[in-house]
Amino acid sequence: MRSLFSDAPRVTLTAIYWAFIFYLLLPLTLMMAMSFKDANFVAFPIGEWTLDWYAKVLQDKQFLEACLYSIMIAAATTLAATVLGVWIAMLIVAEGIKGQVIIFALACLPAVVPGMISAISLRIFISTIDMPTGTAAIILGHTVHAVPFVVVMALTRLRSMPGNLVDAARDLGADSFVAFLRVTLPYLGPALFGGMIFCVLLSIDDFVRTFFLGGYRPTLPMLIFAKVQGGMSPEINAMATLVLVVTAAVGLYAEYLTRRARTR
Amino acid sequence: MSVPKYSTGMAKVVNSSLYQHTLGAAVESRIGRIILLASVPLLWLIMLHVGPIYQMLKISLLSHYPVQPGVESHFTLANYAIFFQESIYFTPLIKSFIFATGATAFTLVVVYPVAYYVAKIVKPQGRSKALLLLLVPFWAGELIRTFSVIMLLANRGAVNVLLREIGLIDRPIPMLYTSFSLGFGLVYLICLYMLLPLYSAIEKIPSPLLDAAADLGAGPFTRFRRIILPLSRDGIVSGCSLVFLTCIGVFATPMLLGGPNTVLFPETISSFFHGASDKWPVGAAFALIMLVTALIAAAIFMRLVGGSKRRAI
Amino acid sequence: MEPVVQFDHVTKNYGSQVAVDDLNLSIEAGKFVTLLGPSGCGKSTSLRMLGGFEMPTSGRILLSGKDVTRVPPNKRNVNIVFQDYALFPHMNVAKNIAFGLELKGLDNKSIHRRVSELLELVQLQDYANRLPNELSGGQRQRVALMRALAPDPDVLLLDEPLSALDAKLRQQMQIELKAIQEKTGKTFMFVTHDQEEALTMSDTIVVMNNGRIEQMGDPSTLYGRPGSVFVANFIGETNLLRSTVLGAEGNLTALDWNGITIKADQGGLSPKAGEHLYVVLRPESIHCSATEPTSGNRIKGKIRQRVFKGNHTSLAVEVGDGAVLNTLVHPGDVAQLAGDDIWVGWKPETATVIPDRHAHR
Ligand SMILES: Nc1ncnc2c1ncn2[C@@H]1O[C@H](COP(=O)(O)OP(=O)(O)OP(=O)(O)O)[C@@H](O)[C@H]1O
Ligand SMILES: [Mg+2]
Repeated sequence: MRSLFSDAPRVTLTAIYWAFIFYLLLPLTLMMAMSFKDANFVAFPIGEWTLDWYAKVLQDKQFLEACLYSIMIAAATTLAATVLGVWIAMLIVAEGIKGQVIIFALACLPAVVPGMISAISLRIFISTIDMPTGTAAIILGHTVHAVPFVVVMALTRLRSMPGNLVDAARDLGADSFVAFLRVTLPYLGPALFGGMIFCVLLSIDDFVRTFFLGGYRPTLPMLIFAKVQGGMSPEINAMATLVLVVTAAVGLYAEYLTRRARTR
Repeated sequence: MSVPKYSTGMAKVVNSSLYQHTLGAAVESRIGRIILLASVPLLWLIMLHVGPIYQMLKISLLSHYPVQPGVESHFTLANYAIFFQESIYFTPLIKSFIFATGATAFTLVVVYPVAYYVAKIVKPQGRSKALLLLLVPFWAGELIRTFSVIMLLANRGAVNVLLREIGLIDRPIPMLYTSFSLGFGLVYLICLYMLLPLYSAIEKIPSPLLDAAADLGAGPFTRFRRIILPLSRDGIVSGCSLVFLTCIGVFATPMLLGGPNTVLFPETISSFFHGASDKWPVGAAFALIMLVTALIAAAIFMRLVGGSKRRAI
Repeated sequence: MEPVVQFDHVTKNYGSQVAVDDLNLSIEAGKFVTLLGPSGCGKSTSLRMLGGFEMPTSGRILLSGKDVTRVPPNKRNVNIVFQDYALFPHMNVAKNIAFGLELKGLDNKSIHRRVSELLELVQLQDYANRLPNELSGGQRQRVALMRALAPDPDVLLLDEPLSALDAKLRQQMQIELKAIQEKTGKTFMFVTHDQEEALTMSDTIVVMNNGRIEQMGDPSTLYGRPGSVFVANFIGETNLLRSTVLGAEGNLTALDWNGITIKADQGGLSPKAGEHLYVVLRPESIHCSATEPTSGNRIKGKIRQRVFKGNHTSLAVEVGDGAVLNTLVHPGDVAQLAGDDIWVGWKPETATVIPDRHAHR
């Protein structure tokens, strides 16, 4: 009797979970399925399967250029954000420095400012320093966006680091800088790599900052935005599916790495 | 046996006189260490984390910007006043708040049981898999997810096609470009930001506590209200703040999913930055109004729910 | 010969708290020196100051005659074995040990030779490629030791390195540690709050209390002739008999303890009649018998408690009114002590007197 009662919530929750998964995956699965359809519009059931749309997308010069441009921006963003994020995190955990709380709050500021406002303020900022819109401005904007995440990830890992590892390195003849390079940085390693991949995804995914800071060269989200505004087409399905598969694979890999780092 | 490779290069660099006289000397002195550690971070934080907001504030108080030749720019509060004068300006902000609040509340109610299920009912070994399944759509970007919602809700989208196929309707139900599609899209976009904070808060509640309560005769509902809910308060606060602030600032999704009746504030702000108009100060003022009201709303919410004052990151 | 380590009036304050108070200490090369004392007495602080991780508030620290008070840790020729080992988790055993050697600028071959040599010393040749988290506690301990020994420091500092090990392994490591010290001839400065550990391994024990040195000497002196009540209580089990001096008799002193006249070694003091002193009497110095001993101090008593301890039985014997002496009896002698009435006795020279600090104030 009792077990029947206590099982009711369990069954309900299980049902809710799977319903939620269904909700999450339905639109994306649909989109992916339609990318294989041999027709110009949505219809059920999918009669003829085809890879034509993929062939078309992969020959689309505009798409390939946008991909390359996005990857380049993401790489630069990730590099800058990682260096800055780790540097800021090191400052926050350093001994004998006051105002760590304020520094931490400042570091997290871009993460609590809504995306639109961040984009506008950066647009205004680059114009006040006479910086033109374009690649450099996009990278700057994306880096501002990514730094807080690197800081938080690096801090979490740094705080779990046994304090005497650096002492041990110093004891064995390393100065502070060498100890950082040889001990702290490798200790951060796996978590940092996960964080870097997160930066890549943040940057590749960003629309609003790029929209306000970019020039005429479209990044991937800008291209998709323009195409979506033009209406539905299986070509967008194929394009989006390609991007989704690649980013999900990269994302899952990052997830795996952070998980492994945590259990170490 | 082969001789392993040790890193002998480091010593060469460290012992070189170049290093000894520059970086090496710097890290050995307290002042040098502090300068090395603090200079770049502080410069970056002040220039790029605070700088843009400060510039935005400054420009919002100017009559003209970018300054055209022959025009004098002076200090004014008029840009803020405009906001209160025209309903086409403040209605979008109110709509933004309604959508963000609605989406946040809806997400909380829907995601909470899911987070609870993964954190407390799934066995520990299966937890990371159950979580991962939820995270898969998270890696599709904002635009791709928005587009997939269009695929679902458009007149020629999956739902309408399916309904017509089974003969329930003979002309499509207009769902896209309405409040419904916008709400649906927003929730779809942000629900996972709610999941993670909730999950980590609920996971921390010791299970023996729940068993103890059950032993004392508390039914599932009482247990939820008296124990689980108060103990997951931190997760609720950070999840809701995160979702709310994200929702407020979303730009592309409302433009793609919303219609003429669902113009949200970001779109209003954006209109001041198009072309070579010198309406930037108004846009800046509006952006600040939005930032301040959003942060105040989030702060009030935190106060009301009364979790610890942790920031939502 | 010049001492390797010298603390010269070293004081360390943390705010208003005095962690180390005017420490003066010289350590000879090649010795196994132990800092022994209760928790919070300033052992770790002293060690960390020698390692360069804390700056003394005042005073100087000399290493092989050179003032190193302001020299950073990486420029000092001392190495520490940390309590939790602090092995670099991302480097394998060989890389851990090689760390200090790499930074000394040795070439690959010499590093390899030295690492192999050290691994052999602790029989870990087959573990060179393991990561620290793939080792047992004892193995980690050995790697940490070898990593600190690798750069050939003047002094090796060990801060309670055995406290994370279980009792059995701990005893085994005590012996191994001592053997390694003897084999390498290095100066070891070892910190512990475990007196047994200190007695087992040390050439010299420095007993610390409240940031000050209480007494310093070799284990048998400290055990046999503790210089203060604190040391007597801290090292080993002991009976402390508060007595009044009656007068000197050659090397011995006659004292009155609870109305009983006893004799004890003067222990370098020259006690005056009427003075209050403590007599230190170790349980194992006391001999229990059913019949009255023929010589030495002897008192009739009643057994109040017997505790079987395996290789001996410990007895609490009441003598006079309420005073209790703790003694121990070997298994062979227990049989003859069936009754409760026994005699306890000890040779006067096995007991020693120490001043009663409070009596002076
Ligand atoms: N960083 C610090 N800040 C403030 N007080 C400290 C600090 N380090 C040590 N102390 C204080 O100095 C005193 C001596 O500490 P120390 O660590 O040297 O003790 P210890 O003898 O090593 O004790 P244990 O056996 O517990 O390790 C203690 O009272 C401690 O509270
Ligand atoms: Mg200590």
